[in-house]
Amino acid sequence: MQEKNILEMKGITIQFPGVKALDGVDFSLRAGEIHSLLGENGAGKSTLIKCLTGVNRMDAGKIILDGKEIAPTDPGNAIELGISAVFQEINLCPNLTVAENIFVGRQPMKHGQIDWKEINRRASELMSRFHLDIDVTRPLSYYSTAIQQMTSIARAVDIQAKILILDEPTSSLDENEVQLLFSVMRELKASGMGIIFITHFLDQIYAVSDRMTILRNGHLVGTYNIDELTKVELVTKMVGKDMDVIFSLKRSEVAPDAEFMLKAEHIGDASKIHDISVNVKKGELIGFAGLLGSGRTETAEMLFGATKTVKGDIYVDGEKILIKQPFDAIKADIAFCPEDRKRDGIIGDLSIRENIMLAVQSRKGFMKPMTKQEQTELANKYIKMLGIATPDCEKKAGELSGGNQQKVILARWMAASPKVFILDEPTRGIDIGAKAEIQRLMLEMCGQGVSVIFISSELDEIIRCSNRVVIMRDRAKVTEVDGASCTQKDILKIIAEGAA
Amino acid sequence: MSKKSFDISSLMQSKVTWAVIAELLILLVCFLIRPDFFSISYQPSTGMLYGSLIDIVNRSAEITIISMGMTLVIALGGTDLSVGALVAVAGAIALKFLRWDVLAYPTPGDYTVCSYILVLAVPLIVCALMGLFNGFLVAKGGIQPIIATLILMVCGRGVAQILTDGKQFTTGYSPFRFIGQGSFLYLPMPIIITIVVVIAVALFTRKTAFGAFVESVGVNPNASKLSGIKAAGVILIVFMITGLLSGIAGLIYSSRIMSNDSNNAGLNFEMDAILAVVIGGTNMSGGKFSLAGTVVGSLIIRTIVTFVYYFGIVAEATMAFKALIIAVVIVLQSEPVRKYFAKRAALRALRKGGMKA
Amino acid sequence: MKKQTLWTRITNPKYIMVYATIGIFLAIYAFGAFLYGDKGFLTVRTFVNLFIDNAYFGISAVGMTMVLITGGIDLSVGAVASLTGMFIAYGTTVLGLHPLTCIAAALVMGVGLGLLMGWVIHYLNVPAFITTLTGMFLARGVCSLISRESIDIKHPFIDALAGWKIYLMKYVDGNWVKIKPIAFINFNVILFLVMIIIGAFILQRTRFGRNIYAIGGNEQSAALMGLPVGRTKVLVYGFNGLCSVLAGISYALYVKSGWNLSLQGGELEVITCAVIGGTLLTGGVGYMAGTLFGVLLKSVIPALITFNGNLLSWWGKIATGLLLLLFICIQRFVVTTSDRKKGQ
Repeated sequence: MQEKNILEMKGITIQFPGVKALDGVDFSLRAGEIHSLLGENGAGKSTLIKCLTGVNRMDAGKIILDGKEIAPTDPGNAIELGISAVFQEINLCPNLTVAENIFVGRQPMKHGQIDWKEINRRASELMSRFHLDIDVTRPLSYYSTAIQQMTSIARAVDIQAKILILDEPTSSLDENEVQLLFSVMRELKASGMGIIFITHFLDQIYAVSDRMTILRNGHLVGTYNIDELTKVELVTKMVGKDMDVIFSLKRSEVAPDAEFMLKAEHIGDASKIHDISVNVKKGELIGFAGLLGSGRTETAEMLFGATKTVKGDIYVDGEKILIKQPFDAIKADIAFCPEDRKRDGIIGDLSIRENIMLAVQSRKGFMKPMTKQEQTELANKYIKMLGIATPDCEKKAGELSGGNQQKVILARWMAASPKVFILDEPTRGIDIGAKAEIQRLMLEMCGQGVSVIFISSELDEIIRCSNRVVIMRDRAKVTEVDGASCTQKDILKIIAEGAA
Repeated sequence: MSKKSFDISSLMQSKVTWAVIAELLILLVCFLIRPDFFSISYQPSTGMLYGSLIDIVNRSAEITIISMGMTLVIALGGTDLSVGALVAVAGAIALKFLRWDVLAYPTPGDYTVCSYILVLAVPLIVCALMGLFNGFLVAKGGIQPIIATLILMVCGRGVAQILTDGKQFTTGYSPFRFIGQGSFLYLPMPIIITIVVVIAVALFTRKTAFGAFVESVGVNPNASKLSGIKAAGVILIVFMITGLLSGIAGLIYSSRIMSNDSNNAGLNFEMDAILAVVIGGTNMSGGKFSLAGTVVGSLIIRTIVTFVYYFGIVAEATMAFKALIIAVVIVLQSEPVRKYFAKRAALRALRKGGMKA
Repeated sequence: MKKQTLWTRITNPKYIMVYATIGIFLAIYAFGAFLYGDKGFLTVRTFVNLFIDNAYFGISAVGMTMVLITGGIDLSVGAVASLTGMFIAYGTTVLGLHPLTCIAAALVMGVGLGLLMGWVIHYLNVPAFITTLTGMFLARGVCSLISRESIDIKHPFIDALAGWKIYLMKYVDGNWVKIKPIAFINFNVILFLVMIIIGAFILQRTRFGRNIYAIGGNEQSAALMGLPVGRTKVLVYGFNGLCSVLAGISYALYVKSGWNLSLQGGELEVITCAVIGGTLLTGGVGYMAGTLFGVLLKSVIPALITFNGNLLSWWGKIATGLLLLLFICIQRFVVTTSDRKKGQ
């Protein structure tokens, strides 16, 4: 029974303009297993999922579900066939209640009307299965991202599908919530459901899955049992090359008598942060470690003027400055690469050239324009320097892959030649190769005397690059540790227990 | 794929191309019906050129001027519904000044009671301030532009009526007549004003980085702010410009009729201006804009009216035919249709290139 | 499981805007009662007249609310209602047809145009603003093609329907007597209230209605959740076409004539009603109860000005604009405070 394939996808090929997103990929899923789907960004994981859920049409290949060939035409059709999915970005309606988000489109009816009592009752039951004791009749937008994520998982689970697809479901969950999700996944698995699990967190793959399938550049690398591959082997197969690049990174060397480039003393914002002091020396890289919501991003946003600083002083290069809006920070040679690339970083419909010149131009003001030729030269310089994969600088930035978009944003700021560069999760959601590249760039900038503040959820990255690590917890700074001598365990302990 | 075929397909994908083709087709049909359509004659008595083409451009002046501002508003991802009402307000103020003291000058004539500068400046300043009010609601209040400008659209005509006590004034002041009915360099003044406005807006947006900032804010306001663009300032300026341009259009309009008409002045101008912008290829969701496209769009709207007139159809039915032609243009410009044609063009070019090779 | 008491149900943040509308309506009404109570502002008749004089706006606002909830807009409603009036006037007076035949033709026209516009909006991806603006031009143009002059409607059926009324009675000394000053409700009022109830039922009690909200909340998400986005949108515009025709019939009964320029700008008045009723133009939020009070709120202002007797009617427009401003500010305030709450 365990060995029976519930789903078989054979020779799946999907052609996008200019590229083959998937090329003859085979995939199979057994009833009652958790199957991880792995690969770098652009490897074709999401495309494979979209093909299975009817968002994208396939150009060749066939899908066999329970012995019958199927061809999902749209997500509604896929759900009818028994394929339910939680997509990478939360795909729910913020204006509907939590309960309704779980049941919309398949509401229980009574006397030809929607049975609201039943909806709310069942939704409450479902959410309490996730140990969430919330009022399900409030709008979804009223709740945190984690609860929203849980809601979308609850919806997918309640559909009672044969196949459940979870595409990066854990990105906004904390450790407890992840464990909760895993226990639900195991329950579902025991009931005979086949689960496809996509994540960037390697530990989670090993914690929960039975088998894994690796894709690279639209091709199948192979399907393995979980105990067949070690982490290093797995990463090597995903990247297709050894990870020497990452391990060869060297910390920046800070002169012992280096001056403080940025000094923030006792700063606080209107609501969340009360008192934080940070300083960065010239050419130094400071890592900010801490959980989501620990105050990392909030501090960075204050330093850049994205949120208002209501108390404390900020000094750049010894000079006290008043930062009311991002423009002031840019004037003071501070740069900021925001956490949410899509919402706050990239300007999708504009060309790479325009995206790159933006910070330089906004600093000059619109009355002193750069000529198109100057812009093109600037853009081409950084396209070459950062290895942005594009035919020319006039391509729309929104059409680039995640990693390349991130490079465009880096280029925007590097062009403004900042003294302080704050990077908030610059490596999130991009593939390992690009991650290493971005870490290398940060360290290079440090070498040229730029002070860098690096925020990341991945501790190994922080430890690898930082001279000092600032550890944050509950919207306050707990302590600072030396980057060269600390270990992941030390930091985790401080994050968990709060003691220095 | 050869370089040339790529160009064709991108050309076919461009909305501006379709707008130009539509305009040319309509002109061609006009020409077929009336062979003298393109002829232009000179009338020494007025010192002006006459002809259907001149008339089309002349009559489209108000919409073209307003739609320059509307293009920027739409590039920001918004719409300005108040422009028509501002046209009425500008006319009301100007006529109020021209006929400041009705008792002293009981009949309309060639005189004004206050400085002519005031007659022109006050309406423009008031309209610019009203535009600024719109911009303030959008930029500082974070209110959707369509709703924010709906307020002045609803109130504006009321304000115009109250300024003039609900009366319609007339004037005979000749410097004022010059704005809408005079001529300069053989061309009617509205055309000259339009040309000046179009060039001014084009220079302001394209020779500075303002246009790029507008596009950037239109696509992604958050990211633009975080790149150091003062988005609120950009929004304020754009709405102020639109208000000012509505004022200019209002002066032209009331100079044409030498009167104020708070009910009908600028009626549906907001709709025509938005149509002109969209037909001209600027996306209603914001981003890249094309001022040249907008000018073509505005000309199309006016040409249709002339076209319908040539068919001998009653003026009131113009709207129905306008709707039909616009519907055709819009369907041709719609994404699925453009993609279909672009694909075909690319295929054909590819086939040709393949045969040569 | 968190307890859902009556209190938590009432204080659910999603109803705030409806409460605001009702509150401001009551405040303005109280203000009117304070100023003109002695002139009869407080009588049942004044209140009922709000319905009689604005029923056609209300009927149209039912469909408009749904369109706005999907995140769309429909600028054609005024012109379609006007065209309906022309159909009835021209059909009965000039062609000698029975009004029901004309109404049937108008229904086919209105619903058909609505469905067509919905199709263009969804499947050709043309902005709703532009599509329905073209629809407005078309309907208005056809009006003028039919006739450029106002045509009176003279038909016994129409007279009977327009003249039909139920007097409001009170029980005095064992007898039912008409209340003084005489107040009644007519066919239009009933049609308005029935449409509000139907609208509320569709929105709150059917899957179709909930899909409307989901689409307005996030269209892409709705599609990924497997909801029939295209079909829903097309049907919503079709339903709005139906409402426009009913509004046109109601207006024809009210003025007993058809005119090619009637109800010009009516679409924006209807949108204003919906907005001050708490419907968000960004989509996803709106209630029929809010729209009902939005219509009443908007119509109480001209009533006040009539009672004053000295003010120019233009002040009504300015007051409506200010009301709109007030509402938008309240909406902003509600949104920002609920955001702040979420952050904490």
